[in-house]
Amino acid sequence: MKKECVAMLLAGGQGSRLYVLTENMAKPAVSFGGKFRIIDFPLSNCTNSGIDTVGVLTQYRPLELNSYIGNGQPWELDRLAGGVHILPPYQSADGATWYKGTANAIYQNIGFVDMYDPEYVAVLSGDHIYKMDYAAMLRRHKDCGADCTISVMEVPWHEAGRFGIMNVDERDFITEFEEKPKEPKSNLASMGIYIFTWRKLRRYLIEDEADPDSDNDFGKNVIPAMLRAGEKMAAYRFEGYWKDVGTLDSLWDANMDMLLPGSGLNLLDRSWPIFGRTPSCPPAFVGTNADVGNSVVAKGCRILGEVKNTVLSYNTTVGEGASVCYSVVMPGAVIESGARVEYAIVGENCHIGKDAAVGLPPECAEDPDKWGIAVLGPGSVVAKGEVVAAGTMRSKNHREVKA
Amino acid sequence: MNTMHGIIFSYEKKTGLRELIEHRIHGSLPFAGDYRVVDFMLSNMVNAGVRDVGIIMHGKCQSLLNHLGSGKSWDLSRNYGGLTLLPAFAYAEHRENSGQFRGKMEALGCVRDYLRSIRQEYTVLADSDVVINLPLEDVLQRHIAAEADITAVCTSTLGGSRDVYFQLDDNGRIIDTAYDLFVPSGYRCLNLFVMKTELLLRLVDECMAHNRYSFQHHVLQDKVEELYLNAYVWDGYSAHIDTIQSYYQRSMEMLQPALREELFCSRRPIYAKENGSPSTYIDPTGVCVDSLIADGCNIQGSVKRCVVFRGVQVEKGADVENCILFKGTVVKKGAIMRHVITDKHVVISENRTLMGSENYPLVIGRDTEV
Repeated sequence: MKKECVAMLLAGGQGSRLYVLTENMAKPAVSFGGKFRIIDFPLSNCTNSGIDTVGVLTQYRPLELNSYIGNGQPWELDRLAGGVHILPPYQSADGATWYKGTANAIYQNIGFVDMYDPEYVAVLSGDHIYKMDYAAMLRRHKDCGADCTISVMEVPWHEAGRFGIMNVDERDFITEFEEKPKEPKSNLASMGIYIFTWRKLRRYLIEDEADPDSDNDFGKNVIPAMLRAGEKMAAYRFEGYWKDVGTLDSLWDANMDMLLPGSGLNLLDRSWPIFGRTPSCPPAFVGTNADVGNSVVAKGCRILGEVKNTVLSYNTTVGEGASVCYSVVMPGAVIESGARVEYAIVGENCHIGKDAAVGLPPECAEDPDKWGIAVLGPGSVVAKGEVVAAGTMRSKNHREVKA
Repeated sequence: MNTMHGIIFSYEKKTGLRELIEHRIHGSLPFAGDYRVVDFMLSNMVNAGVRDVGIIMHGKCQSLLNHLGSGKSWDLSRNYGGLTLLPAFAYAEHRENSGQFRGKMEALGCVRDYLRSIRQEYTVLADSDVVINLPLEDVLQRHIAAEADITAVCTSTLGGSRDVYFQLDDNGRIIDTAYDLFVPSGYRCLNLFVMKTELLLRLVDECMAHNRYSFQHHVLQDKVEELYLNAYVWDGYSAHIDTIQSYYQRSMEMLQPALREELFCSRRPIYAKENGSPSTYIDPTGVCVDSLIADGCNIQGSVKRCVVFRGVQVEKGADVENCILFKGTVVKKGAIMRHVITDKHVVISENRTLMGSENYPLVIGRDTEV
């Protein structure tokens, strides 16, 4: 069955900078915004953009992600032809390898893409929070006759040195790509979202694989090689909310952005819905003495205490007299009465005992340079009355992890 | 497993639900913030391993049809069997003056072809307007163990005079069935019956052949000697919703944690249709206490002792107490509401004041702007 455009979603990375949160699951499976997981954003963008064939490349700890994606029904990706496919590395007659890099992951699945004989392939990351119409980007790609189109956004000049920067000509064709330049010539940062003309990409993937010195990475190898060879590389300017949630701070920030009017991240806006798979649970219950303000509350929550500037995921419990501020609480966590949680990420199914204290506001820190959000890995237990200091990270087996 | 077939009745019948069933039959009445009443019975069946369910509907079933879809939300979308929607196509042939079914036996008679195709040895018959979460597999086991012909689920808590009541002997056998009792007494029937499919077919044929239409009258009463009618007493939570008052009272009851825990017990989850709403947002100016809040709401005003369905907006300065707000209700700035039930997509204009009372809540019909 021929498709015009197939999406390949890179979801195999460990997300090691999320530390304890990704000990047992891949980064795209990490919970976000109360009801969602990170991967819901690219998957929903595909559906809303009319792309109905998506390959999800998995490698690190895929169990959670596999069972979450299932048959793709929540994203309407359970289709007769196409739909969502999980693509793990596999063994073949020549032996077995892991995905060596982002480009190699697609290389190993050339067969999958060829099945749909597409004109174009979109290569997406599984760890970005954004709403984007890939169809508009594809139009730009087709209209200007590009071989590769890279989505870019303007970043503040002083931050440009942290990104992969695209230098463009007056028609927004890319002339140069600089990874984390010391003296940026442009402030257009690559968002790690690519559309390729499949015929072209296929050739470059094969050439790249043949080069033993290559890291088999899109940013490091394939894109520079295409630029060197003078292929038509277009920039597609994206305006709107976009955030790479690859670090604990950025994950916390992105959750807080949901609470900030004008941040651009408005999940209540139904014109571009984000879909997700959630279990059956009754509506949230807010008790008589509860005090909830500027917070996101998902179904199944039981709130008896104070919740301020917080994202509460489904099935979480906040006991009487407990207080949760500026925190992200993931599904199934229990915060018992009298406990205090501030500036923290509380992983799935954590249990915070009575009168325990997790995290501190930055202004209360003794040494502001050492301050950080407190992070509890999935399944962690904080005993009654225990104190988990700001900037601490703790895993399920009670081990403190250093960032 | 897979020894029981489910049949749910959701046809129009006389109730005191007024505006709430103007556009729907009672099965699709929204309940407890995230559910339709029929979700409870469907979940009961699915949780007991029932995999084939037929829903007999008649009348304004558009809303129920939309809700049920392919049955996917209850895991009943199957290649073979699963959920079967049974609108009364054959209805006109059986009775000339189309109107309501006179009773369950008549409704079953209209879907006799379907009944013949049932693969399972036992069939459970249930009404869609009962909110309950009970272990149906236990009802079946007790039915088999007692070697009964029909097992009827009933409760010892009394209800209104419109309900049906059983008198039981010491062995739990039903010895009398009564309805329209001025002073209710005995065990209240919850309209849930288990019997062999074979017996059901025989009873339907017999009733059709003699222009008998009522299950209560022509089966439970007429055959009390001939058949062994066994009672299964369920004293857990159950709510029969048939008037605006009972709807309001039963809804507000859901704010009690103990009742909610019983009804939504995690061993037997109640499945609702997932529509992909995002989580609810409660604004810094929003006040929200003692309430059930579904997903996708935006609360900027004050909400106290309310049941709030999906996608409801309460604007700044609005003050809502003791209300039930159906999906998509918008309460504009400064509006004040007490004891009001708003149906889907109702808009309450700025600074409007609406007052119902606890025993007579004000109901605003669907798509109305007040």
